[in-house]
Amino acid sequence: MRSCRPWGAVLTRVVLVAIAVTATACDEQLSDITGPTPSLEPTFSNIRENIFETTDSAGRTACVACHTSQGRPPAGGLDLSSDPYGALVNRPSRQQEAAVQVIPGDPAGSYLIQKLQGTEDIAGFRMPRNGPPYLTEGQVLVIERWIQLGARND
Amino acid sequence: MINRLSPALALGLVLALATVAVPPNARAAQEAPPTSNGGTTSTPVQEEDPDSLDRRPDPVQPDFTVVNLPTSLRLPRFGSAFRVTHRFSRSLGDGDFGDLLSDLFGLDNSAQIGLEYRFGVWRGAQVGIRRTNTEKTVELFGTYDLLPERDGWPVGLALHASVDGTNNFRDSYSPALGIILSRKLGRYGALYVEPVWVNNTNPQPSELVDDNDTFIIGVGGRFRVRPSVYVVGEIVPRVAGHDPGTHAGSFAIEKRVGGHVFQLNFSNTLGTTMGQLARGGVSSDTWYLGFNITRKFF
Repeated sequence: MRSCRPWGAVLTRVVLVAIAVTATACDEQLSDITGPTPSLEPTFSNIRENIFETTDSAGRTACVACHTSQGRPPAGGLDLSSDPYGALVNRPSRQQEAAVQVIPGDPAGSYLIQKLQGTEDIAGFRMPRNGPPYLTEGQVLVIERWIQLGARND
Repeated sequence: MINRLSPALALGLVLALATVAVPPNARAAQEAPPTSNGGTTSTPVQEEDPDSLDRRPDPVQPDFTVVNLPTSLRLPRFGSAFRVTHRFSRSLGDGDFGDLLSDLFGLDNSAQIGLEYRFGVWRGAQVGIRRTNTEKTVELFGTYDLLPERDGWPVGLALHASVDGTNNFRDSYSPALGIILSRKLGRYGALYVEPVWVNNTNPQPSELVDDNDTFIIGVGGRFRVRPSVYVVGEIVPRVAGHDPGTHAGSFAIEKRVGGHVFQLNFSNTLGTTMGQLARGGVSSDTWYLGFNITRKFF
């Protein structure tokens, strides 16, 4: 025999439990993993500002310290000071002809990521050349995410 | 790690679970069904002890969990239960059988251990706390048996909610909300289907990932091979959202002895909380030996 229940009241309590549990929905903070660049986000303008143009608090050198055309030829022929987006996205590397600096949607295949991680098949040195310190794992993850999302000029 | 959920808020959540799990009125609580579990016997309900059915041993549902998944077994009001979970962290597939034997199947290695206590706050409602040494995870949980199968419903329906947090409930909170559908197979066992939403299963921030939630449909079963011996199995497929590794799965053999249930289990995960199960097993060919021991106090 089924017991009689005031279903409206039961439903109300069920909804309250659902709201209480949903209210605890949680997320890790991006700033927890980006270390010396707590405001780093996976957008090109933000990466340009925090990574390319800024020496961070851990001592990792800004990319434009070497990759600039101001007063000197850019290191490796890569100029990140004037038009970094045009210099990276879908552009081949001068060091490795078959490699493309940034392939939208393919962070693992992008030479930029390989150079920052220092994988075995890169030409030359891991970047930044005067490292360590290099980019942290979290900083590289943010750049990978920007590439994974299509490497937009945002 | 984010600290959006303070311990005080977590305690409030548990109290809220306990409060809202109270049956809508006392009269409904007094209306106990006339038949016992599993269709074995019919016993008139004694009005002076409406919780007697909950205190009676259920021969096909002896424990509050399958291996890791919760069951809809009711905990009597003001009754309690204690459970130990133990997973040896040596994979049974490492090395040859001689290596395995020399390590006594993992007894010489470290283990993931959990201690759990649950309490019946009202008829059909129970809350509990579990602490494991996996990242010092604390899980708070509650289950409310909304539609007991013994009341004549074709399947039992219970609500289950939990929140687990690492570092002694300071970091990485994973709330979960789901239902437990149960169906007893006469005197021979019980089946469970458990759709559950689990939040924050991805350790990366949401800005860097596509999914931070996982929707699982846990499936479990307990089959009575002897009057007090059971073969148990469960699998926890992730049907949507973040799904690293492989689906968590376990199987076990267990023995009920009075108020104790002793279970020897094999799992492809060391996880025991809902958040850990949603994050999946190591691989389909990596299995760990473990055991659960439950003691009921009612």
